[in-house]
Amino acid sequence: MLIDCDIHVGHETLADLHDYLDGPTRELVSSSGTNGLAMPSYPWNHPAGWVRQDVYDRDTSVGGFPFLSLDTLRERHLDRYEVSMGIVEPDEAAAFAIIPNSQLAARLCSAYNDWLLERWLEEEPRLRGMIVVPAQWPEAAAREIRRIGSRDEFAGIFLPGAARIPYGNPVYDPIWHAADELALPVAVHTHFESVGIAGPVTAAGMPDYYGEYHTLCGSGMYGHFVSILCHGVFERFPSTRLAMVEGGLVPFVGFLWRLDTNWKSCRGEMPWCKRRPSDYVWDHVRFATQPLESPDDPDQLVRAIEFLRPAETLMYASDFPHWDFDEPEQTLRQLPAEWRESVRWRNAQTFFRLPVAAPA
Amino acid sequence: MRSTSQREARLPIDDAPQEGTVHRLEIDGHRIGLVRVDGSLHALADRCPHRGAPICSGRITTPIEVRDGELGLGERASILRCPWHKWEFEIATGRCVVDPRLRVRKYAVRLEGDEIVVTLEHP
Repeated sequence: MLIDCDIHVGHETLADLHDYLDGPTRELVSSSGTNGLAMPSYPWNHPAGWVRQDVYDRDTSVGGFPFLSLDTLRERHLDRYEVSMGIVEPDEAAAFAIIPNSQLAARLCSAYNDWLLERWLEEEPRLRGMIVVPAQWPEAAAREIRRIGSRDEFAGIFLPGAARIPYGNPVYDPIWHAADELALPVAVHTHFESVGIAGPVTAAGMPDYYGEYHTLCGSGMYGHFVSILCHGVFERFPSTRLAMVEGGLVPFVGFLWRLDTNWKSCRGEMPWCKRRPSDYVWDHVRFATQPLESPDDPDQLVRAIEFLRPAETLMYASDFPHWDFDEPEQTLRQLPAEWRESVRWRNAQTFFRLPVAAPA
Repeated sequence: MRSTSQREARLPIDDAPQEGTVHRLEIDGHRIGLVRVDGSLHALADRCPHRGAPICSGRITTPIEVRDGELGLGERASILRCPWHKWEFEIATGRCVVDPRLRVRKYAVRLEGDEIVVTLEHP
């Protein structure tokens, strides 16, 4: 049994969403700019390509994120690694949440979610989707969650690491309320930091190289993580489940230790955070494994993340088909044997409430 | 490929890969990529020593180097870049450019008449 909580699929160009767009948005998509509506994108390029080279055809690809077919996903990943269930996170659709025009973002999100449902989720029962929402317009995001969130094909709500302000801020309460109401988990996943209306990836300023960015890109997620804890989201919306995806593991340990200490001195300004912040984590937060930090000595990793209670909080993630894909057995081999069954599938099954049964 | 025995594969010399391309073959379950660099043939295991990826489906590239403080290109088409994590390996030596402790396994290649012979022996 294997559950992968981070598989990426996406449209190759916005034209792929044509049949799912309303009339005015379709007009904007085809008429804007010079060659149609363009999404903001990274100012950095991976020097050797964003995705695994063995899963797309460079000669026929036209988009910034090369298109992955369902057949390729099945052949190269679901079948090959016997993935029981996979959680589908967006690729370029993650950018809808950081474009300035929030009304346009809301319409693009709806089109993408309908496209994802019809082209992928209804076609492959091993897949469950994460709902893409216009996070820059929380009321519209809540409407989108309620529109489709009760469908079994969707397993949760996607929020990118890139944002204008951190997700614990009360301006986002409509999103947390809708998630709580539908008992849907929220995944915060690194994506598009420093792009569009999002804040810079670090307060130091803009990195020069993609390698720098990719080392630092979890900074947005750490900001959201601390914000969500300090604003008492888990007190105010007690059934909320939160996954931190592709932000690494070790940094969360340091931030929690530091926040637990600061909370003792500063809790007067954040009285909604009633318990020690890390206490909320064990009940509400799960962490995706990829990209698993890989010191030369794997024991150093184990010691570094023990505080996260990994047997209860870690969920396997591959990030297929991206260039930093983590192969399942290689990931699990780096963890102690007594953690592996939980990381392989049990924690994700419970967190996403997936319809898979324990092996006989 | 003309023939494959338990320990070797033979192919006509006319089927040898061009510079920048890979000819795949298999000997006794071992997947191997045959590559030509600067006229010489090299046989590499189709398994990246980093995470086990099928490295021979990666791209053959020319390395970007710094010499005397200036950017330049190294030997043409002398690097095999893993398709998964993009780690780079010297085709001639199998050595990983970013971590010299890692090497792609190499196999022996020789010419016999009009045939190329690849064996499971070390070169």
